[in-house]
Amino acid sequence: MQNLGDAYGMLAVTAPFAAAVAIAFGPPRWAEVFTYLAAGATLWCSAHLLPAVATGAMPSAKILTLVPGLDLSFRVDALGLTFGLLASALWVVTSVYSSGYVRADRLQHRRRYFGCFAASIGSALGVAYAGNLLTFLLFYELLTLATYPLVLHKESPAAVAAARKYLLYALSGGLALTVATIWTWQVAGTLDFAPGGFLQGKVSGAGLTALFALFAFGCGVKAAVMPLHSWLPSAMVAPSPVSALLHAVAVVKAGVFGFIRVLTFVFGPQSLAESAGPALLLTACIVTIVLGSFVAVRQDNLKRRLAYSTIVHLSYIVMGVALLTPNGLVGSVLHLVNHGLAKITLFFCAGAIYATTHIENVSELRGLAYRMPWTFAAFALASFGLMGVPCMAGFVSKYFLCQGTIEAGEWLSLGVLLSASVFSAAYLVPVLTIGCTKDEPGAAEHPAPHGGGGLRAALTLPLVGTALLVAIFGMFPAAMNAQYDLARQVAARVFGGAS
Amino acid sequence: MNSPVPVLLFVVPFLGALVCACLGWAYRPMARIVTLTTLLAGALLSGWSLAQVLDHGAVRCAMGGWRPPLGIEWVLDPVSGLAVFLVCGVLLFTVPNLCIELRKSASSREVSALACVLLLLSGLIGMLVSADLFNVFVHLEVASLSAYALVAAGGRGAPRAALRYLIMGSVGASLYLLGVGFVYAATGTLNMAEAAARMPSVPAPQLVLAGSAFIAIGLAVKMGLFPLHGWMPGAYAKSPAGAASVMAPLVTKVSAVVMLRILFWVFGAAYLRDQRMILELLGWGGALAMVFGSAMAFAQDDFRRLLAYSSVAQMGVVALGLAVANTSGLTGALLHIANDAVMKAALFVAAGALALHYGITRVDDLSRLRGRAPVLNAAIAIAGLSLVGIPPLCGFFGKWWTLSGALEAGRHAWAALLILGSLVSAAYVFRILEKLYFAKEELRSVPENGPRVAAWSCGALALTIVVLGLFSERVVSWAIVPALPAGL
Repeated sequence: MQNLGDAYGMLAVTAPFAAAVAIAFGPPRWAEVFTYLAAGATLWCSAHLLPAVATGAMPSAKILTLVPGLDLSFRVDALGLTFGLLASALWVVTSVYSSGYVRADRLQHRRRYFGCFAASIGSALGVAYAGNLLTFLLFYELLTLATYPLVLHKESPAAVAAARKYLLYALSGGLALTVATIWTWQVAGTLDFAPGGFLQGKVSGAGLTALFALFAFGCGVKAAVMPLHSWLPSAMVAPSPVSALLHAVAVVKAGVFGFIRVLTFVFGPQSLAESAGPALLLTACIVTIVLGSFVAVRQDNLKRRLAYSTIVHLSYIVMGVALLTPNGLVGSVLHLVNHGLAKITLFFCAGAIYATTHIENVSELRGLAYRMPWTFAAFALASFGLMGVPCMAGFVSKYFLCQGTIEAGEWLSLGVLLSASVFSAAYLVPVLTIGCTKDEPGAAEHPAPHGGGGLRAALTLPLVGTALLVAIFGMFPAAMNAQYDLARQVAARVFGGAS
Repeated sequence: MNSPVPVLLFVVPFLGALVCACLGWAYRPMARIVTLTTLLAGALLSGWSLAQVLDHGAVRCAMGGWRPPLGIEWVLDPVSGLAVFLVCGVLLFTVPNLCIELRKSASSREVSALACVLLLLSGLIGMLVSADLFNVFVHLEVASLSAYALVAAGGRGAPRAALRYLIMGSVGASLYLLGVGFVYAATGTLNMAEAAARMPSVPAPQLVLAGSAFIAIGLAVKMGLFPLHGWMPGAYAKSPAGAASVMAPLVTKVSAVVMLRILFWVFGAAYLRDQRMILELLGWGGALAMVFGSAMAFAQDDFRRLLAYSSVAQMGVVALGLAVANTSGLTGALLHIANDAVMKAALFVAAGALALHYGITRVDDLSRLRGRAPVLNAAIAIAGLSLVGIPPLCGFFGKWWTLSGALEAGRHAWAALLILGSLVSAAYVFRILEKLYFAKEELRSVPENGPRVAAWSCGALALTIVVLGLFSERVVSWAIVPALPAGL
């Protein structure tokens, strides 16, 4: 580490872990205070890095050597910072929401909840800022470990089953990634991420395909690409803030982020040009988008419906990378953020509805929009964002994804992408229409939303805030400039370095 | 360099055992004091001698001034220095718990049990530092006999387990002795260095083959390599809890080090690669052990039995590392020997304390512990996660090196089995963690004071697991690279 400026990335990773330790050993009442402090510190550190990284700098820090020649090292580049900023900014919002949610839903074991939450975010930031594959792997595994208690939080039989399934999937993925890492280390002699990849000419033929398959399995589990997706809907037994930040943003995006990292910073477009891997991955994504959408329409449980929608949108992002074109990559990186904003809003809404009325199913939402107008307004905005309605954040990323498919000449992918907007409408709009349908006279009354004004505010303000961001990012391109610049920088580095 | 240090390392616990028995017979608490003092002295001496060996090279001692062809030689080189330090260091954390258990049960066996522990220690050190094939057998028997006695001191089912251990152990030792006979017939010497030097020019290669095979199988029994592990679950589940925590982390590991020493220093990597059979058997045994041991561990009800099967699995990693016979593989084997000794010490000490203090012996009963004994819980969690191979805990790096070795050697089937075994091991570890942290039952009557000594030793061992992991590169380059055999 050359100077203090380089240490901010490391600080951003350390702060959440420090908070987790403080929460574990500190007094229970302080758990939320520590969370707020760490969330603020993390966001501040990440934001502090933005101006430097936007101009092309890559602050880096090496901590200690783990294996001769391999360090635990951090390096913040445009791609990592995009994910890091997303996770740390949304952590601040989610902390406010969590404070409201744990009271409204009367959650037990709050220290465990807040501690594991902080550790999960720390791991996600570690994944984002990792400078080499070993560091990436380390935090990828820690992420599994830190989110496991959160899935299991309610300790009900369903939660136990879901947690076991989650572990089985995530640990298998981690082991595949371990093997892939060791293999890469042996053929390349380095694991430091390089724009455009470092595996050109080092491995080819069947070896390349096998290595690609191992990486794809490792990242595909967390990115919930079919057929590795089934843990995600089950994991929805977790408390809503967990589903919102971790299972819609941090964990699954770590998988997607892994795909981007591995495909463009380990393999590189050149070495993948002759491999069948990306084409197969593309096929898997198309299947996931189509099948996932159909399944989503059939889900009555709101959170499960959103989970399948997450699965679909994650495959958009993976598809963008698998196209291996500059615009596709830009679209991926943008959609990483835009989907994050929209999806966290939707999950916040689902959680707010559940915490105040204990309604979980779409079919029971009848008339609820009149009781919770802010929530449903936010839901509407976020839904439009996901569908890719112009003037919403999702439109821009979809536009670039479509350009990517045209560049690559993948017409089938283009068709799927365009029709997927209709699918999104098919499973999101009914929630709104049912919510806005007036009660028939004589129908069973909803239980009145409970909780005081402060509680309602803690649940409502975050979701309104993120929904507004979806709209602002879509309507005022200037607001998106920083994000767009980072994405362009990634694409320029990766494809500029190759050609 | 000529120095009495190797012999001294052996003599300290050996004399300690005699003094312990005599003084303890006169006044019982003296046994404890003598034992702990001896252990502390042994640990300090072994630490100092390891530093010396790493700085100035191997230390030799010819007993009674007789030079090797005639006399018996003792050598402390980086491998044995490392292993001796490991043995003494781990015992420092486990034996105090045995003392507490013995004092609590107020049995008359206290003195003899402690004397046996010191005798076991002297045997283990003797196995590591003697440079003479027959002398290794003598110390192997000293260590084994003390171990049989310790197992037999347990409660219900212990005599049966001890008998089984005794029969299998004696068969293993006899096979080893038979192998030594063949090597002697082939080379005309029992000194390891001499035998290694004469090995290439041996007129009858069948004798060497028979010798190497018998030695390898005999030691495989002692290290509990699948499918020769039958004695292990009973011996470690039925013995007194404290005795299990003394034996389980070390006895099999020391046999593995002796296996490494004889295979790679006496027979040599080139011979083993040429001849292939031994390495093939070792590798397949290790790879299958990883899967089988982990699966059996998952199926167990008894906590200590589960841990014993987990040892079978971890010894599989070690055997696999030996079998690939390259630098990465052997680094992995040595590193994992150290790692598993620490992990198993933490787990067995915790298991013993839970049984003694809370009466918890079954895995399902762990849920009754909820919230109590946080240090023990955390130690079990850390050691368990390290067993699975979660970075940055030390178990990850043992597996990392071993896997690297297997992939380098092109043994993809072994690598795949190792990975599968890791996944299965996650099943039993998370079964324990689920019970410890996420079950709804509560223990009704709770003892006022938690097990303090166990908490301290488990805490220290858990910390060691983390430190060994984070600084694994230092450990490898400082202690393990010098310990690797030549000719890889």
